[in-house]
Amino acid sequence: MMNLTLAQSGFPEVMSQVTLGHYLVVAAIMFVLGMIGFLTRRNLIIMFLCTELMFQAAGIALIAFGRYHLDFSGQTFVIFVLTVAAAEAAMALALIVLLYRRKESLNAEEWKDLEG
Amino acid sequence: MINPYLLFGLLVVGGVGVTLALPRRGVNPQVLGAGVAGLAGGLLMLFLGLNAGTEKIPNIFFYLFAAVGLGGALRVITHPRPVYAALYFIMTVLASAGLFLVLSAEFMAFALIIVYAGAILITYLFVIMLATQAPEEGQEDVLADYDTQANEPIAATVVGFVLLAALTVMLFKGTGALPAPAKTIPDVLLADMPRKVERLLGTNGIMAKGDVIDRADWVKGMVEITTSGGEKIILDRASNTLNAVGADGTWSVLKQHAWPEDLRVTNAELLGFNLLRDHPGTIEIAGVILLMAMLGAVVLSRKQVQLDDDAKQARVTQLAQADPSFDAGSESPIELVQQPASSLEEAAR
Repeated sequence: MMNLTLAQSGFPEVMSQVTLGHYLVVAAIMFVLGMIGFLTRRNLIIMFLCTELMFQAAGIALIAFGRYHLDFSGQTFVIFVLTVAAAEAAMALALIVLLYRRKESLNAEEWKDLEG
Repeated sequence: MINPYLLFGLLVVGGVGVTLALPRRGVNPQVLGAGVAGLAGGLLMLFLGLNAGTEKIPNIFFYLFAAVGLGGALRVITHPRPVYAALYFIMTVLASAGLFLVLSAEFMAFALIIVYAGAILITYLFVIMLATQAPEEGQEDVLADYDTQANEPIAATVVGFVLLAALTVMLFKGTGALPAPAKTIPDVLLADMPRKVERLLGTNGIMAKGDVIDRADWVKGMVEITTSGGEKIILDRASNTLNAVGADGTWSVLKQHAWPEDLRVTNAELLGFNLLRDHPGTIEIAGVILLMAMLGAVVLSRKQVQLDDDAKQARVTQLAQADPSFDAGSESPIELVQQPASSLEEAAR
């Protein structure tokens, strides 16, 4: 019997649980950095960049799990994460431009009291 | 996977580093903080690798891309200038794309670069440029207050790193309990791509010239192909061979061929089948989401907005201070419907 892995050269080796753990730790750290940024920074644009950072982290975790199980639903999920991120960026940035026109400031605290 | 006390110790060090790296007024030890946080992250990875043994750890590119990506992420949340934060975010996106490549998700890696670095981040840069004031002539470019000072850095970092501690402990427990990893992708999709199989078998001389595949079926872990020439070809991944039976159907003329190396389902094909066959409805939903976002953005940005009263007052005092002859009353009502700052100044003169 020949070496099985030779024919599937796109997927040369089995991914071990330890390797999966490494990727998940990186994803967790990136997610938490994004969260800290979202909580501490006061510039609206940077706050939204931090949400994108959290999307990235979720994407890394999804793709690592997909690779471990060789199940491509993980990558399909990341496509939808990208879609939602793009939609969110378009809406959020339109809103930010609108808010900036009104107060000439990107400070999130300017908007602490909103009236309907 | 790693001693919990060591893990928590490293997380505390990392938290202190991130707190120091966040922007603040006065003494601003950002470089020191980034160094401490980077050291903690590096040690965490080192101990993880030492505990696992050298044969199980991911390859060197993982460490490279992880370091670049996390370093970029730290800089995104600590850099006082939004433009630089966005550029560092592009660096993080590129490093994540590298990680995707190491995970053999080539399609997603390039889609990520095109969509994120190419489209979303450019939108961010546009908005940063729309929504920041250029320094007036002769004035130095000063950063706004809200950019140079982080809000509650200590509390936020504590919350974040408590979450990180919980996440990592759960991850180390959970990955150990996962079912064994999958070894190979079954070739079942090859039966759905007869034209590709036909081309590869033709170029490798396994199928006679001019023959086409009549039908391909997935039977008991093998792909059974019937060609228009009456030949039968069985692709058997388990023994890594292709068996061809002649038109008379007897096994005596059975020919064995080595498996052509290109004859496999590629990443993009697997993803395409998964996306369009297994999740067809979600594509429609994604389309609706994008359409709604586009409409929303158009409607929002067409709106005429007035400066609100506080901002108007602040602007008037600012102009009056800059130019003592300016009188708010004489020009009233000041046209503060959205206008670039330069025309506002002309109105003041």
